[in-house]
Amino acid sequence: MGFFKRLIDFFTLGSDRPVRRLIAYYLVLAAVVGALMYFFPVVDREIGSAQLDTAAPGSNVLQDGLAQETVRGFDSDLSPRLELALSTFIILLGILAIMLPVSWVYMSTRSNRGHNQQVAQTLIFLPLVVAGIVLVVQNSLALGFALAGVVAAVRFRTTLRDSRDTVFIFLSIAVGFAAGVHMLLVGAVVSLVFNFVLILSWRYDFGRSVLEPTAGAQWSEQLTELAERRGGGKVPDRDLVLALDQKKALALAERFDRVRKILGPSGKKPRFNAILSVTTETLSEAQSKVSAALDDVAARWRLDEVVTNVGKPSELFYLVRIRKSTSKDALLTAVRASAGDAITNADLEVADSVAAAAEEDGDQR
Amino acid sequence: MRGGSLIAPLLLLSLLVPSCRKSGGSEDPSREDSAALDARLAKLQERLAQADSGEESGDPVARWLLGPELTEVSGLALTSDGRLFAHGDETARVFEIDYRRGAVVKQFWVGEDALREDFEGITYAGNRFFLITSKGVLYEFAEGADGERVEFQRHDTRLGKECEFEGVAFDSTANTLLMPCKTVGVKSLEGNLVIYRYTLGSDASGTSTSELSIPMAQAVGNNRWKQFRPTDMAIDPWTGNYVLVAAQEKGILQITPAGAVVFSRPLAGSHPQPEGVAVTRDSILIVADEGAGRAGAITLYRWR
Repeated sequence: MGFFKRLIDFFTLGSDRPVRRLIAYYLVLAAVVGALMYFFPVVDREIGSAQLDTAAPGSNVLQDGLAQETVRGFDSDLSPRLELALSTFIILLGILAIMLPVSWVYMSTRSNRGHNQQVAQTLIFLPLVVAGIVLVVQNSLALGFALAGVVAAVRFRTTLRDSRDTVFIFLSIAVGFAAGVHMLLVGAVVSLVFNFVLILSWRYDFGRSVLEPTAGAQWSEQLTELAERRGGGKVPDRDLVLALDQKKALALAERFDRVRKILGPSGKKPRFNAILSVTTETLSEAQSKVSAALDDVAARWRLDEVVTNVGKPSELFYLVRIRKSTSKDALLTAVRASAGDAITNADLEVADSVAAAAEEDGDQR
Repeated sequence: MRGGSLIAPLLLLSLLVPSCRKSGGSEDPSREDSAALDARLAKLQERLAQADSGEESGDPVARWLLGPELTEVSGLALTSDGRLFAHGDETARVFEIDYRRGAVVKQFWVGEDALREDFEGITYAGNRFFLITSKGVLYEFAEGADGERVEFQRHDTRLGKECEFEGVAFDSTANTLLMPCKTVGVKSLEGNLVIYRYTLGSDASGTSTSELSIPMAQAVGNNRWKQFRPTDMAIDPWTGNYVLVAAQEKGILQITPAGAVVFSRPLAGSHPQPEGVAVTRDSILIVADEGAGRAGAITLYRWR
């Protein structure tokens, strides 16, 4: 599996784009199946060639059955039992090869709302069972009726969360049927078209009402807010954005915007260059003592936020401008000395410019 | 464009190019077909010569996979000039097959409207064809041109209750249609292999019937079959013996016109469902097989 993944990574240059990876998968699969068909003719027959080895309608020239057997007929040397076992095995392997990308597409297109793991697994297991049943029933009416009776006796009821999940289940049944009647090729083509249609409709948000804003428009405001103003509109962290829903992204953007305003207009010297976070059990006492310390050691400061927690220490966040003459450690020492037992912890995050200046000082000394 | 984006289209192209070349590469497909068919004929003659020299006894000398129209091929007939005809199971559509080269020469339909019946066998009697249904109804018609629809005459042998028919052959020496029973419906004939003789009158309507019955044990011989249920019958043009094949037993039986068993044995080679048999004047045994989920086929053997 690892080799297969590396192979697909090679063809897609490690691209995460689902369409590109799907194309790569199918190309690799086609190459593998082509090679197997060439060297193992029984594969050729099982994927549907049995239905195709007749002359085309309207053609007057009949196919040479002996030539086909000579070129690719060593499977006829197999014992009937071994051939049956081998053909069944090939059918089941073929189903796995066909249904794997379907399950990937299912998981990919459900990632926003979260996919149902049971459905994803069912997509793999169900066609195996269906194919097995069809292989057993074949053309027997009696077995078909018996199967209907057995199925009627067992109640399979489940409610799927999304109606689109039902379509996936139907597809897996169709692939199972196709494989069971030795028409894997039909199943493969159906699943291939299904996968691409589905993933493209998901990609382009097909079916959304034209009166509603598109998904891109719905996200544009939040993404613009999240993007760095000097970063050419680039989103700072793609994973972060994907992990948020629209409301949370907007809330985060508002917070970013507030911090930006506090820090001052871009391009100018920032008003603050560090954030002091203090953890305390006694909020008011700590606040007064930390304020006193900051008055002494900081050039400028401002209480940015107070986060009150239940069952654990509260947090105080200060925006601080550190004097050039004061080091980070000196400021923290002063705060801890002033607050004493009123705080449980204090930490200082400094801007890159301060850290660089401190480093330079150290080097000069 | 990055290298990776080029690989996929190139691979796709490499898969498509050979198929394009195959479908459109030839300037004159008919000439190509003709050369291939001639090569087939030469190959067949070579294999027949090998079979005559004893190098490949029992092996088929040719096998042609039939088109979808003949997936359920149900009977074979040889005309007096040695041409092979075949028909399907449900429709009265008759195909002439060049069995030496593996090609369909022509096809014609019986009846103006689509004639549908359970057709089980075909034979050529003098200058007329006869198709037989499982209930013993005969459809008589003349040979048609390619694509033509021909008129027919219907004759009910009234033997449908006595026998389920699966084949028909013409004995020119007695001017008689021979109709083997797959399933016997008469109690007195149970346990026998029964062949009805249906003598043709001058107006081509049957004038008398008789039956030839052989104890099933003799027909089965030393084989592991419980019985022998014939699905078609032909007459060896050199000996006049009857040659029968059975689908379920996948066997072949030769008997004299008097009913003495010459041999009964399993068919050599792979035969999913033998439904038709013919023996040519140049000693080739032709067996037609229903597809049984695959393509129908005719298989040629050297007949000695």
